[in-house]
Amino acid sequence: MSENLRVSPAPHISRKHSTKTIMLDVLIGLVPASAAAVYHFRQHAVILILTCILASVAVEYICCKLMKRENSLGDLSAVVTGLILALSLPPKLPVVYAVIGCIFAVGVCKMAFGGLGCNIFNPAMGARAFLTVSFGMAMASWHLPAQMNPDMPGLGPDTQVNAKNSSQEQKDQDVKLDAVTQATPLSWVKKAVKTRNAEKASEIIKSNWPNSQLKYALTGNIGGSLGETNALALLAGGIYLLIRRTISWHIPAAVLGSAFVFAEIGYLFDKTAFANPLVHMVSGGMLICAFFIATDPVSSPITRAGTVVFGCGVGLIIVLIRLFGAYPEGVMFAILIMNAFTPLIDRMLPAKPIGGIPDGK
Amino acid sequence: MKKTFKGGIHPPDNKDLSKDCPITGLVKLPGQISVLMSQHIGAICKPVVKKRQEVEKGELIGDSEAFVSAKVHSPVSGTIKDINLRSHPVLGRVQAVVIEPSEAEPACPPEQNSFADFSEDDYTPEQINEKIAEAGIVGMGGAGFPTGVKVGPNPKMPKETMIVNACECEPYITCDYRVMLEWTDQFLAGIKLLRKASGCRKCYIGIENNKPEAIKLLRERTENEENIELSVLETKYPQGGERQLVNSVLGKVIPTGKIPPMVGVMVCNVSTAAAVAEAVIDSAPLTHRAVTVTGKGVQKPANLYVPTGTPTEHLIEQCGGLKEEAVKVVLGGPMTGFSVGELQTPTTKTTGCVLCLTKEEVGEAKYLFRQTPCIRCGRCLSVCPEKLNPTKIAHAVKADRLDLAEKHNISACMECGSCSYICPANIEVTGYIKTGKIRIARANKDMPA
Repeated sequence: MSENLRVSPAPHISRKHSTKTIMLDVLIGLVPASAAAVYHFRQHAVILILTCILASVAVEYICCKLMKRENSLGDLSAVVTGLILALSLPPKLPVVYAVIGCIFAVGVCKMAFGGLGCNIFNPAMGARAFLTVSFGMAMASWHLPAQMNPDMPGLGPDTQVNAKNSSQEQKDQDVKLDAVTQATPLSWVKKAVKTRNAEKASEIIKSNWPNSQLKYALTGNIGGSLGETNALALLAGGIYLLIRRTISWHIPAAVLGSAFVFAEIGYLFDKTAFANPLVHMVSGGMLICAFFIATDPVSSPITRAGTVVFGCGVGLIIVLIRLFGAYPEGVMFAILIMNAFTPLIDRMLPAKPIGGIPDGK
Repeated sequence: MKKTFKGGIHPPDNKDLSKDCPITGLVKLPGQISVLMSQHIGAICKPVVKKRQEVEKGELIGDSEAFVSAKVHSPVSGTIKDINLRSHPVLGRVQAVVIEPSEAEPACPPEQNSFADFSEDDYTPEQINEKIAEAGIVGMGGAGFPTGVKVGPNPKMPKETMIVNACECEPYITCDYRVMLEWTDQFLAGIKLLRKASGCRKCYIGIENNKPEAIKLLRERTENEENIELSVLETKYPQGGERQLVNSVLGKVIPTGKIPPMVGVMVCNVSTAAAVAEAVIDSAPLTHRAVTVTGKGVQKPANLYVPTGTPTEHLIEQCGGLKEEAVKVVLGGPMTGFSVGELQTPTTKTTGCVLCLTKEEVGEAKYLFRQTPCIRCGRCLSVCPEKLNPTKIAHAVKADRLDLAEKHNISACMECGSCSYICPANIEVTGYIKTGKIRIARANKDMPA
């Protein structure tokens, strides 16, 4: 009776979860946002999402083969990277660019560092940064959601004209409405700051962001990257992750809290040049960043205190870039910059054992 | 607010398997009883008997001159068949006295009448101390520190408060729970004796809130006791860890790597208290204890009154044998116990549980030892009851950097296993830390690896 018994160190039971179930939870959490992306941007979303996932998985497979390693596709991390990258791209980005992004994300940002757990930078954000600097034009052309009415009140004056022209063209040439391009909410805000003309700036902000506009941001009826336009879908996914305890509340709270505080400071300082902090909360990549990107365990600090500092840093940099930087949106750089600080944060804020002597002292 | 500590885990407790099984004696004694000469932390005893000698029940068979040690007695009357190496759940192979029992009737749990009308005033602390040392009592919670040494006077660290560890926080185990329910008089008598012997003023019984019947019973019985107070704690693992228990009950924090006496607290286990009562009032040495035989891998889970040195196999047979699905037999709880490959391994004074686990209970990944890369999720840090950085220590041990492991407080780890339990990558964090500790000890003693 004793031949088949196994001997191993304690403990002899473990929680029934694995890296794979964590990744699966993240994927489930991204389902609402992906569905919203497909609803808003139709076939473009489908094409981009499928391309990115397939390309990421393929790149990881090839890398494993080349590195003579056991195939690591089973942990689903390549799928997560592909999906997050897809959701952070402009809807009509050419497929070739997306594939190049996946090669960079998985091949360079992840596998070249040694695979899952060893990468310093978030692969999806690293790839997005690479695409932004390589294909600036393509990465900055935004497209209207399919069901958006070009006559919708609150669109910027110039955009409105464009939109109308396009819809006219569309009738003539029988092309779909989604060929229309438009500035994203954050680029309106950016434009307002850039003009340095307080009067004009306030006019732009006011005309583009009456309170009713929040509604469009919440439901995603607005320009932007695939997965960042629908705030409600992202919130739902984030809440799912929190309930499942796949992520702890510390990073989302720190990111959103600090971004809100710093945006509020800017807003109080100059209401005409800076947008309402609520606008910052629901627009751009803020929510997807807080719940899905900044919470990437591999590239974020390991202690609770460290994650809070990391989250606050991300929130601060996002707002700084949005208010003063050259780009309308700051999530990608905020994440990458704080990723670089992660080892330092881990070192500065080590675990403190119960009863005093800090770790590593 | 529920009393508790920070960190910890909530594994499914699975106590339902055996919690309603009263403590029963063995149906028949095993053919041979192997009493190991190491039943505790501290010096290993030397046999004081010879081969082919007849021994009486309760006769001294092993003793040591070292201070930190405890005597070993024969649990049965019989003949010494052999004095030889036998497998030990922790130490590999250790010298054991093998006894062939002559009596036909196996022992039953002690008569409870003698404990009901007892008065602690009949004994002086010195008398109690002497009897505890004579009876060879050790901490029966698992670690097995000699109780005589723990209770004895220590001018450097005077004891003020006593906490009875009635948490039984490890999943599956129910023997302490049954002792509290069935041997209540004996248990309470033991507490009073221990309190008197150690000179503690106040005594708390720390019990997890998943044992409502025991809480109700003890509350009724301690209502009129001035110095005994029930402290109900949140059900969480490792609530019964000494340092966690002191923190939960008294709110006191013990400095890193130190033990409860540093803050004037003495912690002792339920079964230990019961054994003390038996030793002092009945003058009976510690030779038997309640053992839970449980797990989904055994036919009929039970709580048994077991002579020290009974082969594990005999206990499993008494419970109907292993089921086909059983893949692991553990002496002790699922979190800190020791898996045995040889079912001849005898129980010791510290064995409170024989756990037969199925593949499903162990978990597929753990069964196959399938490990994936660390994703730095920090779950091990957030559950560590000592708030250490288990990954960092494990990585240091893996990289053979024992200096780094020491820098990260490897010695403060109590090996509760919470980090391994929670790790999604199924890394044997606790296993690495244990290995690291052994290697550090070897390096310090210049012992061959």
